[in-house]
Amino acid sequence: MGQILSGYYIYMLSILVVYIALATILHAQFGLTGIANFGLSAIWGFGMYACALLIVKLNIPFVPAVILATILTGVISMGISRIILDLDSQSVLVGTLAFLAIIETLVISEKWLTNGVMGLGPVNYPFDIGTYTKFVYFLIILIFTIVLLFYARKLESSPPGRLFLSIQDNEPLSQSLGKSTFRRKLVFFAFTSALAGFFGAMAAPIYKYLFPKYMGPAITFTLWIALILGARKRIFGGLVGVVATIGLFDVVLETVVPIPSKYAGILYNTKYFLYGLTLILVLMFRPSGILGEKARSINTANTGKIQKMEG
Amino acid sequence: MTFAMFLKSTIIIGLLESAPLMLAAVGFTLIFRLNGFINIGYAENATLGAYLAVTLNAIIGWNFYISIIPAALFSGVLSVLTYLIVFRPAMKRGVGPTEMIILSVGVSFFLRYGISLIWGSRLYNFDIAKTHYFTFYGMGITSTQLICLGFALIIAFGLYAFIYKTKMGETMRALADNEELAMIAGINPIKVSVVVWFLSGLAGGLAGIFTGVFTWVNTGLGWHMILVILLVAIIGRVGDVRGALIAGAGVGIITTAVTLVTQPAYGVVALLVIFIAILKFRKVRA
Repeated sequence: MGQILSGYYIYMLSILVVYIALATILHAQFGLTGIANFGLSAIWGFGMYACALLIVKLNIPFVPAVILATILTGVISMGISRIILDLDSQSVLVGTLAFLAIIETLVISEKWLTNGVMGLGPVNYPFDIGTYTKFVYFLIILIFTIVLLFYARKLESSPPGRLFLSIQDNEPLSQSLGKSTFRRKLVFFAFTSALAGFFGAMAAPIYKYLFPKYMGPAITFTLWIALILGARKRIFGGLVGVVATIGLFDVVLETVVPIPSKYAGILYNTKYFLYGLTLILVLMFRPSGILGEKARSINTANTGKIQKMEG
Repeated sequence: MTFAMFLKSTIIIGLLESAPLMLAAVGFTLIFRLNGFINIGYAENATLGAYLAVTLNAIIGWNFYISIIPAALFSGVLSVLTYLIVFRPAMKRGVGPTEMIILSVGVSFFLRYGISLIWGSRLYNFDIAKTHYFTFYGMGITSTQLICLGFALIIAFGLYAFIYKTKMGETMRALADNEELAMIAGINPIKVSVVVWFLSGLAGGLAGIFTGVFTWVNTGLGWHMILVILLVAIIGRVGDVRGALIAGAGVGIITTAVTLVTQPAYGVVALLVIFIAILKFRKVRA
C-alpha cells in the first residue's frame, strides 16, 4: 500500500487531476466565454516555472512562491488579453498560439535562468511526512480541483456567466444593452489564467524537475482534444475528456498494463494518432461531445411560462 | 563585420532560407482564399512530402531531383484526400471557423503520428551527390541551395500566374468570392476545389522537401514550419498570393538579420512579436 501511495501511480493521478483542472479552465474560457485560448499550456507553464524559479533561485518558501507565481501569471495574462482579446476568434487563437511559441522558445533558449532542456529543479514538496507525502499532496490538489469545479458550476448560473454566454451568442447585442463586454472578458481571462498559473505552481513539486516539454503545444492540444471530446459547454466536459484520453492512455495503459519498454515509442505515437482521430470524429459526428449539450435552464423556464400564458 | 557585409549576407541568406517558406505560404494561402479557414493539417503535407522524397532518395537510392516528383505529387493527393474525407463534409455540416481550425489540428495529429508509426522516430538525411560550392558576393553557396531556390521561386510564381492569369484561376477566385453565384455560372465547385487542394498540397510537399534538404527530415518538420507559414500568410494578408510571396521574403530576411546579430531563438521570438503586433494593429481577419 505504502509503495502505491508514494510511487508512480500517485504521480500519474496527481498529473491527471491537474489536467482536469486545466481542462475545466479551458471550458470556462472557451465553452463559456468563447475565447479560443491556444496558449493555455504556456500560461500554466509560466506559473510552474515562476514558482520553481522563486524557490530554486531566490530560496523563497513554497506557499509565498505559489502566491507570487499566481499573481505574476495573472499580470502577464492581463497583458496578453489587452493585446489579443479584442480581435476576432481566429486571431485570438493564432495570437495565443504565437504567445505559446514565444514562451516555449525563451524557456529553452534562456539557459542561465531556466536551465533549458537540462531541467530546472529540484522543487521539493512543501512538507515531508514520509511515505504519505505524495498522497497528501495529491489530496490537496484534488480539493483545489473540486473547488474549481464548484466555481465553474456557480459561474454558469451567475449573472457574469449568463453575460458571457450572451457575448458568445451575440456580442454586439450584449454591447447594445449597455454591457461592457470587452472589460468583462479581459478580467475574466486574466483571472482564469491566474488560476491556471496557480495549478502550474502547484504542479512544480509533482514534477520536481521542470522541462520545457511540460508546457509545449502538445499539452495545449491534448487539453483541447479532451475538452472537445468531453463536451466544451458542460462543466464536467473537461473531467470526462481528460479521464477518457490521458486517464485511459497514461494512467491505465502505462501503469496497469505492463508494456515492454521496446514498444514505448509505438505506444506514444499511437496515443497521439488516436487523439487526432478522436478529435476528427467527435467534431464531425458529435460536435457537442460525449456529454452533449445541456438545454439552458433559464430558457426552458421562460418558454414554459410563455406556453402557459398562451394556453 | 561591417554594415555593408551584414546587409549583404542578411539579404542573400534570408532569400535562400525564405524560398521554401514562400512556396509553403502560397500553398497555404490558396486554401484560405478558397475555403476561408486556417488549415493546420497543411503542415503534414510538408512532412509527408519530405518523408517520401527522403525514402526514395536515401533508402531506395533514386536521384534527388527525380525523387522529388512522385513525392510532391503524392503530397498533393494527400491534400485532396483530407479535403474530400474531412474538410468538405465538415464544411457541409456547418462547422464554424474556430472549430475548423481545431479540426485541422486533429487532422495534423492524426497524420503526423501516423507518419511516426510508419517511419519511426529517427532522423533521415537526404543523400545528394556532387554539390558544388561557389562564392556569390563573398558568400559561400552550394549548388543545391541555388537549384532549390530556383525551383521554389518558379513554382511559387507559377502558382501566382495560375491564379491571376488562367481561366482555372479565375473560376477559383469566383468560387472563393461567392460559391452560389459561381455555381449558377456553371462552375463545378468540387472539380475546382480538388485542383486547388492538389496544387496547395504539392506546394506544401515541395516546401517540406526543400526544408528537409538543408536540415534533416523528422516528424516535427511540418509542425515547426506551420506557425511561420501562418505568420507569413497573415502578414501578407491571408488569401493574397502576392502578399504571401513578399511577406515570405521579408520574414526570411528579418529572421536572418536577428539570427546573425544574436541567436536563432531570438529570430523566432522577434518574428512572433512582430506578428502579434501586426495582428493587433491591422486587426486583420486571420
